[in-house]
Amino acid sequence: MKRTAPLIVLALLAGLGLGLAYAWFIAPVEYVDAHPAILRADFKEQYRLVIAASYAATLDLPRARARLELLGDTDPAAELTAQTQRMVASGETMENVQPLVRLAADLARGFASDPFTPTPPPIFNTPDVEFTPTMDEIEAEPFEEPTETLVPTLAFDQTPLAPLEAETNTPRPTFTSTSGPGAPFTLTDQETICDPSAGNSLMQFILLDSRGRQAAGIEIIITWERGEDRFFTGFKPELGNGYADFIMQADTIYNIRIVTGGSFVPNISAPVCIAENGTTYTGGLRLTFQQ
Amino acid sequence: MSSSNLIKIAIALIIGAAFGLVYGWLIDPVEYTDIPPGILREDYRMDYVLMVAEAYQHDFDPTAAARRLAILGSDPPAALAASALEYANRNNFTPNETQALQTLLTAMQTHQPQGVDAP
Repeated sequence: MKRTAPLIVLALLAGLGLGLAYAWFIAPVEYVDAHPAILRADFKEQYRLVIAASYAATLDLPRARARLELLGDTDPAAELTAQTQRMVASGETMENVQPLVRLAADLARGFASDPFTPTPPPIFNTPDVEFTPTMDEIEAEPFEEPTETLVPTLAFDQTPLAPLEAETNTPRPTFTSTSGPGAPFTLTDQETICDPSAGNSLMQFILLDSRGRQAAGIEIIITWERGEDRFFTGFKPELGNGYADFIMQADTIYNIRIVTGGSFVPNISAPVCIAENGTTYTGGLRLTFQQ
Repeated sequence: MSSSNLIKIAIALIIGAAFGLVYGWLIDPVEYTDIPPGILREDYRMDYVLMVAEAYQHDFDPTAAARRLAILGSDPPAALAASALEYANRNNFTPNETQALQTLLTAMQTHQPQGVDAP
């Protein structure tokens, strides 16, 4: 018995090892009802895209949030933003990225943004007037092919024409412009930021729509003598949905183009600030644009 | 070594293997971390198809919808949409959701994937 006891223990251990090897390597547990949190990273990105596309259709923010939570992200909005940046860096079109930007912005804001509504038809601010065609307008009407039923009658009662002197111009309706999604942005405020503790000289952008709300997903192109950079607002939702920034270099002239609407602001450069001890340093700028 | 000892050793081996299997399958099974969507639980897969259907109602892009459904496995997109619609009917989805799935199913049944041109 004394000789067999070690053998029995050895057999137990060997059996245990064989059992574990079989259970872990040869025939491991097969997952059939898996949870989205353990999806492979690229599938998670696809899952987020579909969540964002669905959200763009339904604007159901609580449901989109619940779906994102399934993926196990600690900060879903930050993860969406990171994915957006990865997609932009890989050359994805803004059309594909826009749903992610919007969902990230709405998550940070806590409520669904207004759905896109087309520009309403023009509003006329003059009272309704009965349209009276003038002689010029009558003559300007396109010539129509005469038909048999429209053979001019040689004799008819002519309504007396008003004398020319008495003719008054019919007031033309005045068009009241409304800002749509494609309306241009204009620079409404330019603020110099002198903060010696700031590491970089930032050109900060805040883009507001026609209602004064921050606008995400607006493309900005900055060009300078030796280069060009392009980026979008909304990639840092913690700083605002219409926020974007760019690191300036001293003694460089930048030209800014807001792609939506085609606004152009030339000759922007980093300001020079003076510290308390009299030394100078490069400051930052905060540019506010509004539609 | 007597035959009784051999039997004891064999029994010990079997008991050890049984412990190993129980531990490896039940107590501490292999944990998967990078799974494909095809083995998601049914309700998650159906919710994914529903999201695709909702997105389709917004963009009306059958190619994008088919591409999104393709990550669920090798089943044809129409079959996935059909199974999701059946699941929706069984589980009291809202009329809007059922309608969205029906629209997606119709689109996938008529969608012709773009073939690859022959060289």
